[in-house]
Amino acid sequence: MKKREDRLIMGKGQYADDLEFSNMAHLVFVGSPHGHAKIVSINVEKALQVPGVVRIITGRDVMEHSNPLPVQADFKNPGWIWRLANVHAMDADRVRWFGEPVAAVIAEDEDKARIAADLVEVEYDLLEVTASVTQALEPGAVKLYDDWEDNKQVHLVFDFGDPARAFDMADQVLKVTNREGRVTGVPIEPRGCVGLYDRKNDTLEMWGSFQTPFLSRHNIAATLGIAEAKVKINAVDIGGAFGLKIHAWKENIVALASKLTGRPVKWMEPHRDFITTGPHQRDVYWEGEIAFNNDGTLLGLKAEVVHDLGVESTNKGIAALSIFPACSAPTNMYKWVGMHVEGIGVVTNKSFYCAYRGYGKDKGIKFIEAAVNQVARHLGMTPEEIRFKNFIQPDEFPYHQINNYVLDSGDYPAVLQKAMELANIDQYRTLKSELEGRGRYLGIGLVTFIEPAGVAVPNCQMGGITQARVLITPDGSVEVHSDRTEIGQGSEISHATIVADILGVKKETVHVKKVTSDFIGQGPLSSRGAVYPASAVAKAARLLKEKVVQCAASVLKADQDDVVLEDGFVYSSAAPDIRLTYQEFANKVFFFPGPRGLDPEILKRHEHLLDVTTTWYSPTTPESGSSYTSFCVSADVAVVEVDVDTGVTEIKKYVHVHDAGTIINKQVIDGQIHGGIVQGIGEALYECLDYDLDGQLKNTSFSTYLIPTAVEAPDIEIAHLETPSPFSETGAKGMGEAPIIGSKAVILDAIEDALSSFNVRVNDSPATPEKVRRWINQAMSANKGDL
Amino acid sequence: MTMLLNITINGQQRTFEIDAKQTLLELLRSQPEYQSVHRSCEEGECGACTVLLDGEPVNSCLILAASVEGATVLTSEGLVRQGQPHPLMQAFTAELGIQCGFCTPGMLMNSYALISGAGDIELTDQQIRKSLEGNLCRCTGYVNIVNAVKKAQQAKNGGQWW
Ligand code: FES
Ligand code: FES
Repeated sequence: MKKREDRLIMGKGQYADDLEFSNMAHLVFVGSPHGHAKIVSINVEKALQVPGVVRIITGRDVMEHSNPLPVQADFKNPGWIWRLANVHAMDADRVRWFGEPVAAVIAEDEDKARIAADLVEVEYDLLEVTASVTQALEPGAVKLYDDWEDNKQVHLVFDFGDPARAFDMADQVLKVTNREGRVTGVPIEPRGCVGLYDRKNDTLEMWGSFQTPFLSRHNIAATLGIAEAKVKINAVDIGGAFGLKIHAWKENIVALASKLTGRPVKWMEPHRDFITTGPHQRDVYWEGEIAFNNDGTLLGLKAEVVHDLGVESTNKGIAALSIFPACSAPTNMYKWVGMHVEGIGVVTNKSFYCAYRGYGKDKGIKFIEAAVNQVARHLGMTPEEIRFKNFIQPDEFPYHQINNYVLDSGDYPAVLQKAMELANIDQYRTLKSELEGRGRYLGIGLVTFIEPAGVAVPNCQMGGITQARVLITPDGSVEVHSDRTEIGQGSEISHATIVADILGVKKETVHVKKVTSDFIGQGPLSSRGAVYPASAVAKAARLLKEKVVQCAASVLKADQDDVVLEDGFVYSSAAPDIRLTYQEFANKVFFFPGPRGLDPEILKRHEHLLDVTTTWYSPTTPESGSSYTSFCVSADVAVVEVDVDTGVTEIKKYVHVHDAGTIINKQVIDGQIHGGIVQGIGEALYECLDYDLDGQLKNTSFSTYLIPTAVEAPDIEIAHLETPSPFSETGAKGMGEAPIIGSKAVILDAIEDALSSFNVRVNDSPATPEKVRRWINQAMSANKGDL
Repeated sequence: MTMLLNITINGQQRTFEIDAKQTLLELLRSQPEYQSVHRSCEEGECGACTVLLDGEPVNSCLILAASVEGATVLTSEGLVRQGQPHPLMQAFTAELGIQCGFCTPGMLMNSYALISGAGDIELTDQQIRKSLEGNLCRCTGYVNIVNAVKKAQQAKNGGQWW
C-alpha cells in the first residue's frame, strides 16, 4: 500500500503546472541577454498592446511596492568577512547575470504573456563582466555591489584541533588541489506557483513547488510587507527539488503581481530559465597540504577553498552558508591532530548559489578523499590500508571530532570491509593488471565517508526549527503534519510507517498531510528529514500513544499496563476478546459518550484530546556545538574502464555500502541511494555550466547540459548495515545526500586509478572525454620530457 | 488561426477547436483529464510529455496538434481500467520506480510501447535502458525503473496485461 505513489501513478498528481483558478492570469519573466549591464530604460508600450496583457511589472514597480529580500544568514565573527547585499527580487537599474529578470508580463494566458515578453524593449549600457573568481579578485576589478570593499562576500577561517602541531609532527607533507565545475541540480520539473492575494482581507495564499513553505512564507511576507500571519504557503506535489526549491525570490514577484492585479497569478518557469536563473552549486577550487607519517597515519590539513558564488548568496538563496560544511567536512571519519581551513566565497556575474544535494559536505569529502588516496598511492599503500589505519573505531562513539562534530555511531571498518567483499575488489585488481598488458585501462575507485545530517546553525534560517502534529480524528483516522515536504524522497511513506508502528494502526488509516507554512520548520534540507521532522513526528506519536492508552484504559475499564494497540484495534490483554477498532474507540472518546465518559482524572489534566503538537531538538547540538546530529556511514567502490584513445569512461561496477542507522523503509533508502549516485556520476563525468567570458551561459538545455540518461547510469549494488543512532527518536540517520557525495568522488578516483600508469592526477571534474584525453597527452609529453 | 481537430484520445473520439500553432502537449494539458502529460523542457529533450501517437511514443511538445487529425493518442490515464491501475503501473509502484513522479507518465508510455512490442522474450537491461534513453529521470537513478519494466513484462507474459 503506497497511497501517494498509487495516486501519482494513476495520473492524479497535482503539480504546480496543474494548478488552475478561476480568473487566473499568467506571468512570464523577461530575462537579461547580458551578463552585466546598466538598465537605461525599459519600454513596455508594444508589449502592452498585445491583446490580453494585463500588466507589466518592472524593477521600478518591485522597488516601489516591495521591500528588499530579507537576509537569510548573517555571521559576524572577528576576522571573518560576511557581506550582505541590499537587493530586491528584481532590480531597477542593473543586471548582474545572464537571464536575470528585468520585467514580468502578466496576461490572460501564458502564450500571450510569452508573446508580449518578447516585445518588451530594454536598453542596456554594458558593464565589464566578471567571469571568474580570479578576475573578480584582481585589484581594481569592477565591483558587483558598489557598497562592498571588493568582490569577496565570504571569508571564513577555521582552526580545528592543533594544526601547527600536526605539521610539526609530520614525516611528510603533500600538496593537493582539486577543482569542480559549476553545476545545477535541475529536477525535471521546474519551479512554479500560483499567488492569490485577497484584497478584502489583505491576505496572501500561494500554492506551488515550495520545498520549505515556512521559510518561503517568512521571505515572501517580508518582501511584501504583509504580516506573516496573513500569508499561507502550500506545497503541492513537487516534481523533484534536491534543495533547488528551498528559497523563494521569483515567487515573491508572483505574489506581488497578484497583489497589484487583484487576480490569481500563475507562474511556471520554463526549464531553460530554471538553468539560467536557478540555483547553481559547486564551482570550487581547493588548494592545500596534507600532513602524515610514513606509516600512513594522517595528522593534519591546511587548505583553502574558493567558491564562485555567482551573484550574492545570502538573500536569493542561502548557500554562502554551504561554505561552512565544505570547510568542516574534510575531517570525515578519521582521527586528526589538527586542521586549518579557510573558505572563501567570491561574487561573479553568474546565477546565484543555492542548495543542491551535498551542500558543501560533498566538496569537503571529495577533496579529502582524493587527498587520502593520493597519500596512499604516494606511500605505496592500498586505499583500504590507509583507511583502516585512520578510522575512528566502533568503541569510540560518541566521538568528539576536532571540528566539534559529535559523531553518533557506526562501524566504519565493517562498512568498508563489506564494500570490498561485495565489489570483489581483489578480483578486479587482478583483472586490472591483466588488462593493462593488453592496452585496456581498468580503474578501481574506493572512498569512505560520513554524511553530517540534521543541520542546526545559529544566525540563519537553518537553526533547527521543526514542528510535528499527530492527531486522531473522531472517525479513527490519523492525521500527521510536519514541515517535511514530500519531494519524492519518501517522507509521506516514512512518516506513515513511523506513526502506524507507534500507534498500532494500519498504515492506510494514516494520512500524512501536504505541508503548509502553518507548520514551523526548515523543511527537508541537509538530510534532516529522518533526523528532525521524523523525530518530532515519532515523539508526537509516542505522546499521543500515552493519551490513547489512558483513554483506552478508561473506556475499556482496564489497567493502563494491559492496554494493547495493534493492527488498528484497541483492547486490553486481560480481556482480548473485547476489541475496539480505532474508529469505535475514537467515537467514544470524542462524542458518544465523549469526554464526560472518561475518567475525571484525564479531564482534570486536560488530556482527553487525541491531538499532540510538539517539537524536537538535537540532544548533542546544544552543549557540544555540533552543527549536525547524525552521521550515516558509506563506502563506495566503483570499477571503470577508460578508453585512452577517446577519453570515454565506462562504469563497469558500482557498489555502495551504507549504514543509516535504523531503516524505516528500505525501498525508500535504496531509491535515494540510486538517485543520488547517478546525480553524482553526472557531476563526475558530464555536468558543467559553461559561462563564456561575456557572461553568457552556453548550455541552457538538456541537450547541452548533460545529465545521465538510463544508458549512462550503471546498475548499483547496495548493502546495508544498521547501527542505530542514539541521538534520533527512531534510531534513523539522515542519508539523502550521502549517495551523491560518494559517487562523484569515487568515479574520479577510479579514473585516476585507471590512468595510474600515465601518472595522471584526476583532480578536476567533470572528467569529460576531452579533459581525460588532455591529461593523458600532457602526461605523455611530460614523461617524454623526463627521458 | 483556429481550426477543428478530430482525434481519439484514450479510446474516446473528441473534437477540439485548436489554434494552428498549438502543440499536442498544450492541447492535452489544457484538458484536466490528460494532465498526467507533463511539461518540462518543451524542446523534445526530457520525455516528460511522452504519449503514444498511433501506438508510437512521441514527445508531444514537438508535435503540432493540427498535424494529428484523425490520429489515436494514448496517455497514461488511458491505461487505467475501471479505476484499476494497469499492471505496468502496479509494477512501477511495487518496485518504487517512482519518486517525485514527474517523469513517470512519460516513462510509463515509453515502457508500455516497449513491452507491448517486445513479444515474450525477456528484455535485457540494456534494451530497456536504451529504449528509455529519451526519458530523463533525476530521482531514481533508473535502477528501479528498469526493475519495474522487467516486472511488468513478467506480468504481461503471465497474461496480465491490457
Ligand atoms: S517537455 Fe517534451 S520532451 Fe521535454
Ligand atoms: S521520479 Fe522524479 S524525475 Fe523521475
